[in-house]
Amino acid sequence: MNRPTAAPAPRGEGRPLGEILRIAGSVTLYCALGGAILGATYVATNRYQEVARAASEHRSIAQLLRLGPDASVVEIRQYLDPARDQVVYRAAPRGAETGTELTFALSGQLLGRARAGLRGGEAEEGLKPLGRIFVAMQGDSTAGFVIEGETRGYKNVVRFFVALDAAFDILGVRVIEHEEDPGLGAEIATPWFQGQYFGRTAEGASTLDVTKDPMPEDWRAALLELQRLPPAQWRSRYGGLLERESVQPVYAVTGATISSRALTMGVRSTVNRFRYRWSLVSPLLGEKP
Amino acid sequence: MARRMRARAAAGALAAAVAALWAGGAAAAAAPVIENARMLAPHHVLVQLGQPVADLSPGNFRVTEALAPDVAMEVTEVTVRPDGKLWLTLAQTVSPQNHYRLEIHRPRAVREVKPAAWALLLSVVLSASLINNFVFTRYLGLCVFFGVSKRQDTSIGMGITFTVVMVASAMLSWAIYTYVLSPLDLRFLQVLVFIGIVAFLVQLVDTVLKKLNRLLHQKFGIYLMLITTNCIILAVPLLNASANAGPWEALALAVGSGAGFAIALFLMSCAREKAELARVPKSFEGLPIAFALTGLFALAFMGFAGLNPFR
Amino acid sequence: MSTAAVPRPPAPGAGRLLLNGIFAENPVFRLALSLCPAVAVTTTVMNGLILGVAVLVVQVLSSVSVALVRRSIHPRVRIPVYTIIIAVWVSCIDMVLAAFFPALYAQVGLYVKLIVAFAIIISRLELFASKQPLVPTFFDGLGMGLGFLFALVVIGAFRELLGGGAIAGHALLPHKPLLFFILPAGGFFSIALLMAFFNLVERRLSGGAARRPGGGGGAHG
Repeated sequence: MNRPTAAPAPRGEGRPLGEILRIAGSVTLYCALGGAILGATYVATNRYQEVARAASEHRSIAQLLRLGPDASVVEIRQYLDPARDQVVYRAAPRGAETGTELTFALSGQLLGRARAGLRGGEAEEGLKPLGRIFVAMQGDSTAGFVIEGETRGYKNVVRFFVALDAAFDILGVRVIEHEEDPGLGAEIATPWFQGQYFGRTAEGASTLDVTKDPMPEDWRAALLELQRLPPAQWRSRYGGLLERESVQPVYAVTGATISSRALTMGVRSTVNRFRYRWSLVSPLLGEKP
Repeated sequence: MARRMRARAAAGALAAAVAALWAGGAAAAAAPVIENARMLAPHHVLVQLGQPVADLSPGNFRVTEALAPDVAMEVTEVTVRPDGKLWLTLAQTVSPQNHYRLEIHRPRAVREVKPAAWALLLSVVLSASLINNFVFTRYLGLCVFFGVSKRQDTSIGMGITFTVVMVASAMLSWAIYTYVLSPLDLRFLQVLVFIGIVAFLVQLVDTVLKKLNRLLHQKFGIYLMLITTNCIILAVPLLNASANAGPWEALALAVGSGAGFAIALFLMSCAREKAELARVPKSFEGLPIAFALTGLFALAFMGFAGLNPFR
Repeated sequence: MSTAAVPRPPAPGAGRLLLNGIFAENPVFRLALSLCPAVAVTTTVMNGLILGVAVLVVQVLSSVSVALVRRSIHPRVRIPVYTIIIAVWVSCIDMVLAAFFPALYAQVGLYVKLIVAFAIIISRLELFASKQPLVPTFFDGLGMGLGFLFALVVIGAFRELLGGGAIAGHALLPHKPLLFFILPAGGFFSIALLMAFFNLVERRLSGGAARRPGGGGGAHG
């Protein structure tokens, strides 16, 4: 089948002006109509997309931290203000309209504290997002933290959640978004790879590394069980293995060292940064304004 | 004669005055504290100072990643090398490819440490043309690829035409996306706008070429029409848009993808010309054997994965 | 302002159009059009299914739109107008998929946007939709879309089974036989094999007459 040739460009001389105007007019009309349809679809789907994304994030957080139904989540958005060399934190319980805003200098000194609205506008203020922290409370005690992180993978950006318990030990890692090759880089988004981060202490997390050595078979079998068993039961069955392996580097996916390393280094720097920033922010958020 | 000597003397005095002012000005303007700084994997920073720094304790230095300028990296040791440069040792690992900020407190100095811009752009070009070749690794542009790669001269013609149109349309698309669509929150129109730009440019190049150089138009004109349905011509602006690329990165990606496509076409045409003369099973004649050849090339190009000349 | 003055013979019936799109003029295996997604997206059956459905919807909607307004499209600008119509529908489908199927959209997002560059759709509009009334156009679009979907699913099943030992996520084999088939190189080989197979079937069915496989010359567009 031959591809149809494109319509030839209208020649300048010898063509009645009226015809050219009519052609241009009809094309413009089609463009305008198309734009109108697109605009309507955009408005209709955008709000839905936001709601769906927030819901799926909350599901991931609840799963990672194994939250009960009576848990509450406080969302803290972190921003960098490059113009003023400041870091801004906006914290609010999930779904609330207003929350607390904290401003710090880069040196860690507190510059300001206010009640602020949360609705958008960050781009106009020149703020660059640094990721979000979700603090989960079950009753009166902290159930854990989920921190959003980003790293450059083999193909494109990899976004992930790191879940920590109150003692900053890793409860899990979940890759939210990636464009890696299926069968290779995409394996970092599988439960058995992500399970390698489970149970590592905060100190272990800050010195994570990757090895190309093959994963021991007994550890692989144990990791596959991690999805099915509740953590307490899994720990009692595989506690010994966990002790042995949680000080080892992360085993890379065969043929996807770059993706494995990207995620591991991303988890490492996310945890390190979180611990520093949380030490600045937590004493101030606990107090009632 | 005396007048000439006087004129020469005046010119000499003027030159001397300018030189003195210049030297004085240069002396008055302080040399930067940090002349140069480089990251050396895995834990070190090499700093060349322009002015002496008295306090060499680790507390006087602050190293942060550009992505997290509020989180200081721990400086464990500062030593002075025989050539006068400073050697900082950090607790955490660093990579020469990332962007950092080095600060000295006394005397106050700030320096951004990042790979050279040309190195970054060259790595984008290499990535787009070899490592993530659009045809062999991202499987785009196949539509036109199989049609044009039957002979060497058509391949070369298509490669050149495509690269030219690719660069022009990618830069125009980038400009419209950055200055019109993004600020006005009209990003959902990007598909419509990008394909419109491509169609418009193709028509423009076609008309201009026909007026300017009939011979060239006869040679390359047919390829222009095929470009509109080449997936790559739309993929590159979309990738630039989703990565929020700057102008140089967009240009590097366009050049790299055009070059990669041209390389792929040329290699394929060489192979297919040979295949025409070989004995191929009847069912495989034509496209199936072309696909198999492409598969072999794709396998070969996998060897480029992880290529990084700037480590 | 009128379309082609040459009188067309009456369009074939619905059933014939559907079968035509799936077998005799299958866009991927016979016409060799729009090959980019055939390799890129068919790493699993689900990916192929999603993109196939997206193309089906865009094809049907575009064909129907053009058939509805075909009398008011000036012939000189018909290609840009087709492109606009396709681009509008592609953008709509893109937004709808992103909103209602985010997990699946994440896998095939870039390729959904590229549908606008698929020659299969625009060639169908030029050859059929601009000349035939609404109902036959609908079935032609449906047939071509189904043929494309069929091709993507077949290739996806082939690659997922051989490369991952599973079909649509359900593991059928205990291990991954040949990871090679999930890589791009394997995609090219899979299509080579499947195309050759279809050619073989075609030749046997048409009694061994040496009909050149469609697209043997130039798979442009």
